[in-house]
Order: sequence, then C-alpha cells, then structure tokens
Amino acid sequence: MTLAVRDADALVFAADMYGIQLDQLAALTGGDRSARAAAKRWRDLGYAEAGRLSEGPTWLWVTRAGLAACGRDYQARKPATTQLAHIRAVAATRIALEATGAYRRASAFWRCERRIRARHGRGIRQHLPDGEVHWPDSAPVAWAGECWAVEAEVTPKTVARTTAIMREILARTGDYGCPGAEAAVLGRPPRHARALYLCSPAALSIVLKAREALGPLAARIEVRDLPPGAKL
Amino acid sequence: MRREAAPYIRHPVRRALGRGLWRLLGLAALAAAAAALAPVTLAAAAAAAAGWWRGWPPRRLYATAAWCLPMTVVWLAAVAAWPARAAGSAAGTAARAAGIAWAGAGVLAPGAGPGPVWLRVAAAPYRAWLASWQLAAHGHLAAAAVAAAPPAVPLGILAGGLAWQYRLFRMRTGAGGLTPAAPATFDSRLWRRQVRTAKALLAAPGALPLISRNGLVVTGAAIRSVRHRGGPGRAAAIPYPRLRSHQVVIGSTGTGKTTLLLRLWAGFMAAGLRRYAAGAANRPLLVVLDCKGGASSRKVADRTRRVLRDAGARSTAIWPDEASLSLWTLPPGQLVTTLLDLIEHGTGGAAYYTDVMEAIVSLAVGAPGGPPTCSADFLARLDPSLLAASYAASGDGAAVTTIRSGKRGFEDVELRFRALWRRLGAGLDGGGSFGDADAWYCVLEGTAEGAVAEAQARALTDLLAHYAVGGQREILLAVDEFSAVSRRLPIWRLYERARALGLAVQVSAQSWEGLADTDDERQRIAATAEGGIWLLRTPRPGPVSDLAGTRAYVDTTRRFAGQGAWAGDGLSRTRLVPVLDADIVRQLDVGQAAYVYRGGVTYVQVKRLTGRQAALAPAAADGDAPTMPLPAVAVPAQWPPPLPPPPDASEVLDEAFGARHE
Repeated sequence: MTLAVRDADALVFAADMYGIQLDQLAALTGGDRSARAAAKRWRDLGYAEAGRLSEGPTWLWVTRAGLAACGRDYQARKPATTQLAHIRAVAATRIALEATGAYRRASAFWRCERRIRARHGRGIRQHLPDGEVHWPDSAPVAWAGECWAVEAEVTPKTVARTTAIMREILARTGDYGCPGAEAAVLGRPPRHARALYLCSPAALSIVLKAREALGPLAARIEVRDLPPGAKL
Repeated sequence: MRREAAPYIRHPVRRALGRGLWRLLGLAALAAAAAALAPVTLAAAAAAAAGWWRGWPPRRLYATAAWCLPMTVVWLAAVAAWPARAAGSAAGTAARAAGIAWAGAGVLAPGAGPGPVWLRVAAAPYRAWLASWQLAAHGHLAAAAVAAAPPAVPLGILAGGLAWQYRLFRMRTGAGGLTPAAPATFDSRLWRRQVRTAKALLAAPGALPLISRNGLVVTGAAIRSVRHRGGPGRAAAIPYPRLRSHQVVIGSTGTGKTTLLLRLWAGFMAAGLRRYAAGAANRPLLVVLDCKGGASSRKVADRTRRVLRDAGARSTAIWPDEASLSLWTLPPGQLVTTLLDLIEHGTGGAAYYTDVMEAIVSLAVGAPGGPPTCSADFLARLDPSLLAASYAASGDGAAVTTIRSGKRGFEDVELRFRALWRRLGAGLDGGGSFGDADAWYCVLEGTAEGAVAEAQARALTDLLAHYAVGGQREILLAVDEFSAVSRRLPIWRLYERARALGLAVQVSAQSWEGLADTDDERQRIAATAEGGIWLLRTPRPGPVSDLAGTRAYVDTTRRFAGQGAWAGDGLSRTRLVPVLDADIVRQLDVGQAAYVYRGGVTYVQVKRLTGRQAALAPAAADGDAPTMPLPAVAVPAQWPPPLPPPPDASEVLDEAFGARHE
C-alpha cells in the first residue's frame, strides 16, 4: 500500500503540527471522503493513530513509524489535551496562509514550532514562535527574503509577558539552536522582519496593548484575527 | 531476729518467654492492622521503599503526600456533592446489601453515601475502605485500588515517610541494626544509593539547566546535604551573589576540578548577562588566571571559550597567545609600583639596590612628556644621559642631580628590565584592555617558568584592579592552580582590595597547602571565602572541616551480653561532630564535590558542561586571532533598534486573515 502525493504532504503536515483534526485534514486533501480514506490508510500502515481527544472531529497524530516515513526525528507522542486548542489554531493559521495565492506563487515555506523545538537545545529558556514563514529571495512579492514569526494567541497572557515576547522575537538575530552569544547580537540584522499575531477575541485587546507598549517597534507587529475554524 | 521474705525473682526463662509472647502479640496486632488497612499499608511500603531506594530525605515523602492532598480534597468535594437519591433502585439496594455505596442508576461511587454533608465527608474514607474490600472480594482488584486511592495514597505516603524517618533516626543515633557496625554499613550503602539518584538526575535530559527558573546557578545534582536545604534527587544550585563573593576550590588532579570551575564560570556569565539584559547590573567580566601553563592549559582555554560562548559570552580572549593587554595604561604611580613588583629583589643589604631601582624607575616613568607607552619606550628612558637631558629641558635640576648621582645603577636596572621584558613577551605590551572582551583566559607558564608566571600574575592583577576602579563591569577573577604563583601574589591582600572594588576572587588549588605559603595566609583566604568553599577529593580536608564547624550528634553504646550477641540496652549521649565528614571527602569520586557554606555542607555530583565545536568562531582571514576583542558597535538607546517599517504585506494577510487591527 502506498500513499498518494497529496496524502504524503498531509502526513508531513500532521507530523509537523503535532496532530490534526479530520476537518482540517479535509481542507488539505480536498474533501471529507478523501480525508477519511487518507486517515484509514495511515492507520493501516501504522503511520498514525486516531482518537477523540476533544469535542468535534477525530484527532490524528503521527506514530514513530509515520515520523520515520516523513523523515522527521521528533519524539512520537499523542497531543496533550491542554494543547489541543492551540494546536488547532496554529494548524488553521497555516492552512489559511498556505491557501493564499501570494504564498503559493512565492513558494514560501512554513517552519513549524515542532521543527524549531527539535533543533533547540534542552535546558535553554527561550521563547519559541508557533511557526516561521520563510519567503524566498526570488519570490515575486515586495517582502521577498523576509522571515516572519507567527504567533497564535488563543488564551490571553499578561501585557508585560506579551510585550517581552514581542521584544524577544524582534530582537533575535540568530537561528533557534544557535549558541547563546549569537541569539541577539548588536549590529546584525534581525532574524524576523515582522511578527504576525493571530488572536482570538479574548486575547486581542492584550496583544494590541502589548504592541502599543513597544513604541516604534510596533510597526513590525501585524495583528489579525484567527481564521474561521480555528476555534476548537 | 526478724525474718524478711527475699524479693521475688522471676525465673529468667519464664521472663524471656513472657517477653517473647508479648512481642509476638504486638507483632500480630500490627500485622492485623496492616492487613485491615491494606491500601494504606501498600502505599506506605511503596513510599518507604522509594525513600530507601532513592536515598531521599523523609521530608521529600511528606511533600509528595502533601501534593496528593488536592486529589483527596476533590474527591471529598465530589463525595459531598454526589446525588444519593437514586439509592432506592434495585441495583442500589443490592449494592448497599453488599456494602457498596450506590448513588445512581449504574454509577458506582466508592466513598459516597447518604446523609448530611458533614457525615458524608467524615464517613467517606470508611465507606471507600469498605467499598474497596468489597470490590477486592469480588475480584475487581484494580477497581478496589482506585476506590481506596484518594484517602489511602496520601496517608500511606505519610506513613511511609514516618517509617523511613524512624529508620534513619535509629541508624543515625546508632540504635538500629543487629550489630554496632550496622549504622556505618547502612550509611555507606545509603551514600551509594544517593549517588546513584544524583547521577540519574544528571542523565535526565533537560533536568539540570545552567540557570534555574528562579535565576539560580545550577552546579549539578545534590547527593546529600547537612544543614543546607535540598537533598538527594534535587538540583544543587547557588544564587548568583555567591559567585560575586570570594570562593575557594580545592581538589587534587583528576577529581573534576576543571569541570566544576567551567560550570561556575559559565553560570556566572549566563546569570550576569541575564541581569545585565534586565538592566539590573553591569555587564559581567570573567578573568581566569591559569597558572599551570602548557598544552593542557590551552585545551582548557579552548573548552572554556566554547562553554562560555554557549552561555552567552560574545568574546573570550586568550592571553597571551591571541590577545594582549597594555601595562602602560596604569597611572604613573601605580605603574612604578607594578614595575618594581615585577622584579624580584631581596631584603637586608639588597634593600639598598631596591631603593636605587625605585628612584630610577620613578624618574623614568615620571619623565617630562608623560609616562612610557611601551616597553621599548621605558627601556630607552633608562639611558641616564637621555633622561637627564629630558629633565634638564624641563628645568628640573633636582632630578638631573639625582640621575647623575645614581648613574652607575642605570646600567644594572636596564639590564634587569630588558631581561624581564624578554621573558614576559609581548602579552603586556599590546594595546588591549580587559573591557574588550567578556572573558579573558590568561595562560601563565607557572610549571615551566615559575618566576615569569609570578610576575605576570602580579601585573595582570594590578591591571585588573585598576580596571575595576572604573566600576563598569561585574568582575570575577578566577586564579587556577594558585600555588604556582602564591609566593609573590598575596591573594588575601587582593581579597580585601577586591571587596572595595566590587571584584570577586575565586582561588583554586590542588591542596590546602597550595592555597598559600604560610598557614596564616591559608586561614585568611579560607576564612574570607564568603561565597563558600568547594572541596573535591583531597587527602587533607581537615582544615576546611574545622572551618565548617560542628553539629550535635547522638551516639549510642550497646552492652555486650558476652554470649555472642549485643543486648538491647545501652547509653546514648550527645556529642559534637564535624559538619563536613572528612572521610567522605577523602573518598569522593571524580566529579563529586562538597560545597561548604555557612556551617552547612552539600555534596554535589557536578554536571559536566560541553561547548559545541560549531560554536567556535572561525579565524579571520587576515590572520587575526579567533578571539578578538568585542567589535566596536555603538549600543543604541533602544534595543532592539527600530528599523524602517517593512513592506506592506496586506495582499497575503488580508486574504488569509482579514483586515489588520490598528
């Protein structure tokens, strides 16, 4: 039994995003029937497990065999119950962004949090974004060559904490996993040209206040609503 | 004559039988209670076994029991709120007949039952206990365990903690075990298990970060502690201010001293940079004087650079191989003193020559036109005719007279300084400053050329003390293998100066004797180590043990019955024993250390730090050293600096997420 190309892409997507719900998988595979068929194939191959972890559609998460098939060296685990809402919000954000014409034309690349975390050293306390969007230098867009940090804010943090995270993201100059000395170096260009905040209604006011507190740096913070269907 | 009845003496065999019977009855009662409270007994046994296996202190078990209490509270709240009206159903009637609480159609709720709220709460443990027995009797062992868990788990862990504490108490007071040797054997086995627990913590990925969540510098895993908080299975961490106080590290070769020092240095750098980033302190500066020299020091220097780079240090300068300092930046008065200290001179009759040298050096440094800017300039001024001409041009007749009268001494002084500069090399003749890097690793050839290393150490400490006066950095001066330079670097004097300058000094030596030349100086160094003393395996820990102080200890003797066994009676007395067990220190393994601070001691398994090879900066193409001074980048008023607004990306963002929030 083999996987169709679209199924394979969706499997990598599910592996990168910790897990995925069937309705979001349907958005990737093109419909409910194809999503169910893909899920069945993955389970038959031992690439994924399924379960009702929350209300709504069934969750799928990739097993160790599936991660090996995707070429990912993450640790296989079931998505934590407390993280489900956030995982869904980030997946919805990625799906919405990847569906845009500019993203496809530019052949942009989403670097997921799980991938960043896998490279990130243990025991080092740094904030990791929910994802990074890399726009190739050759992309036919005005912001070609930029790297964006993406943050999905489902539950509100404090204004001070949110401001500190924004500042850390905008000040960062090195890649995640680099030596501490290169994380934020004076005189080097910032890693993230801008930070994209996708907010739930509950978190929106906090994020806007935090952005105000940044002063001139606020120009590099984009605040938008989470896309429809992001709520668990 | 009056006859009195002799006191009744029980037959010894009957007496022993009676005692044995009572003991048997007691044990039977205890066994019956343990069997009746089987869930609690099982939890207690598991907790005591865990305490024994991991070598935990009892308070850790008590804390675990306390962390289980929320479960019990939630369970009691659920029991109090559980609907009990459905008890009239047939199933409920049957369940009640079987002694099982039955609260609704098909819902089994151990511990729940009818009655007012207070009665439900009060009776809940008993009902849960009853339900668990009934479930066990029906073969549902897992359900029985779940039913009894909310009250039994915390109670059992508490009981296990008490049992483990009692066992420890008996052994520590010498009253436990079958023979008088049992407590010592117990303690040595306990130590081995505690070491195993500490090593397991070291092996757990991410368990011991360099800086803890609350900003403490983590050195490793605690093995055992006396009069300190923490204990086996916990991180051994010290607050940053202790690294900003004087410390002493003593350990023989191959005991893990360098590993410990690297950990402390990296911790100082990481914590200091964090405080600097928060605006709470100046930028940290680490200066290491490695007084051993040779290839091994270069290896350690390279490892230090990688480790510090991972800890956040931008630049580590390795002196004198890759970077240099300028002695000539010292103010003239200080420069004269330092130059004289670099030359070894005697006392008695030789004091005359010392005075002559002092006069000549003062004249050379204080010549019109300012102090010398390099060694060549200084040596050129030791020509009496040139120096006299210089002073004559400025109209200083007294100086000219002095130069002419001491003309014969100039040649000797010049010879000595020329030889000194040839041996010192260019390390003190460059243009660098301590402010150019986050860390300086200075390699002094103490093994090969002791006299040169002593002079270099003297010059470097004088330079650092002068730099510290500016108060721009939080400085830690670490002197490794101090014995190589201790003859001419009276570190205890620097201790007192350093305190005023805000400079912390960390001295490490291979033995107590290596700390200084005289015992008085050793005592001064150790006594002023306010940040604590780190002791690795060393054959003579006695002096440090004396400094650590004593603690009360209950010592129990046992009466030997004379028939191959010891009787159960004896005497207990309190006596004072050292807080730091010298025998443990003598037997410490590689990577283990005893941290002595304020009359307490923590034995630590040090976590090794490894810097990544990839973290090394590549050497510059033009031949510059890989550890060049910090690049001269102007610090902007705002960090991160504001940039021009990025190009408008509304095209993609509007399509994906809707309008922007302003």
